Amino acid sequence: MTPSVSPQDVHAIRISKVSKQYGDYQVLKEIDAEVARGEVVVICGPSGSGKSTLIRTINRLEEINSGAISFDGQNIHAPMKTRELNQLRSRIGFVFQSFNLFPHLSVVENVSMSPVRVKGIARDVAHDHALRLLDRVGLADKANAYPGQLSGGQQQRVAIARALAMEPPVMLFDEPTSALDPEMVGEVLAVMKSLAADGMTMLCVTHEMGFARDVADRIWFIDAGQIIEMATPEEFFTNPRHPRAQRFLADLRH
Amino acid sequence: MINDIIAIFHDYWLLLLIGQYPNGPLGGLANTLILSALSIALAFPLSILLALARLSRWPFLRWPVTVLVYVTRGVPLLMLILWSYFLVPLLTGADVPSFVTMLTTLVVYQAAFLSEVVRAGIVALGHGQMEAAKALGHGYFGAMRFVILPQALYNMIPSILSTFVSTIKDTTLGYVINVPDLTFAASQVNNQLLTQPFQVFLILAVIYYAICWSLTHVAYRLERQITRRRAGLNGVRPAAVIAPVKIISEQL
Repeated sequence: MTPSVSPQDVHAIRISKVSKQYGDYQVLKEIDAEVARGEVVVICGPSGSGKSTLIRTINRLEEINSGAISFDGQNIHAPMKTRELNQLRSRIGFVFQSFNLFPHLSVVENVSMSPVRVKGIARDVAHDHALRLLDRVGLADKANAYPGQLSGGQQQRVAIARALAMEPPVMLFDEPTSALDPEMVGEVLAVMKSLAADGMTMLCVTHEMGFARDVADRIWFIDAGQIIEMATPEEFFTNPRHPRAQRFLADLRH
Repeated sequence: MINDIIAIFHDYWLLLLIGQYPNGPLGGLANTLILSALSIALAFPLSILLALARLSRWPFLRWPVTVLVYVTRGVPLLMLILWSYFLVPLLTGADVPSFVTMLTTLVVYQAAFLSEVVRAGIVALGHGQMEAAKALGHGYFGAMRFVILPQALYNMIPSILSTFVSTIKDTTLGYVINVPDLTFAASQVNNQLLTQPFQVFLILAVIYYAICWSLTHVAYRLERQITRRRAGLNGVRPAAVIAPVKIISEQL
């Protein structure tokens, strides 16, 4: 980075003092974190620690009680017109654990529909772009199939292509491989790896520690609504500082 | 008896088909079909609006519509028809034709029922589809139009169809406020013949059955066509795919 770049340009996402509670239960406790442009961050932690909630607050699928999350210098949790929020969301790719493809549309329609309906891109241009993206995730031959005809791994790759079709500068993944049969995890991770290699800013909640080790620039370890460890994969896997993280890693080795 | 029926048909087919027209108002089968088609055409979009209002997070939309739906569903249609027939002219002083009274009442009544079907279809989809649409930047109405409703309405075709069929059958109740429909024409015929009520009303029943069966059949064809398309089976010979279609449609 050149020194002249302002902090807002360096960071794609800045999470400041974000707290969220359901009734008395505090899910997120004053979380502070930043994701730099082009950075790949893996969020891990025990179940119920708030990982998914945190990533879902970044495109405001979850509301927060206090704090701010800025994306491209705009606070996504500021009061705003729904039109503005939709506009912001369209620039944050989101991949769900359960794929959530649109089962009534063919694969290529799943990918091209939102560019046409949300961004107003011409149908044939969006269609061609969708075919290129499907080629990129290795599913060019499935363009005219329907989601119900695909395996889980194929569906998730279509979901990634669908998110990429909006050309977002940032991609969020919420446990993208957790609903997959083991033999299909690899094909999805391969697509994510190639995205990371292309310089995409990525934030992934995942239990795939191999992926975290190979691809992540940083790992955030969350427990009980707090990020208790932020480290490079090397530090995290060889020398975790927090006892909770040490226990988590020990449990994984079993 | 068959000869009686043929004779009745022969003598009164024009009355049964178009009522007194052109010497009086259009009636008979023609009017029944117009009333049914208009009721369905108006009740269906209205029911979607009512369903969305009932699912709205704004109480000032949700509450009045919830009350309307509960009241309408909790009162017999005949009573609603009589109320509109006697009360509307009394309150407004306007002379409303019975056809319009019947149409309006039927539309409100069936829309209330249909709205619950549509609402069930939307709720049954779960949050995932709406979240996916939102995450891609779709607004509420865009998500509804392109993602939620195409699935919810498709899943609800059998229930929607039942409501359409009962709408057609409910047009017969227009008889009590002198809407000149098929039932009205048949009872005119019966009043002239006096001795053959069974034959006359058998003709009536057969005609209603034919109309409702046709609608059911068309809807069934439509449903199958959509199922086949979504299963990616277009252009495949039908005989070979009946079983796979059934299996795949359950997975959708």
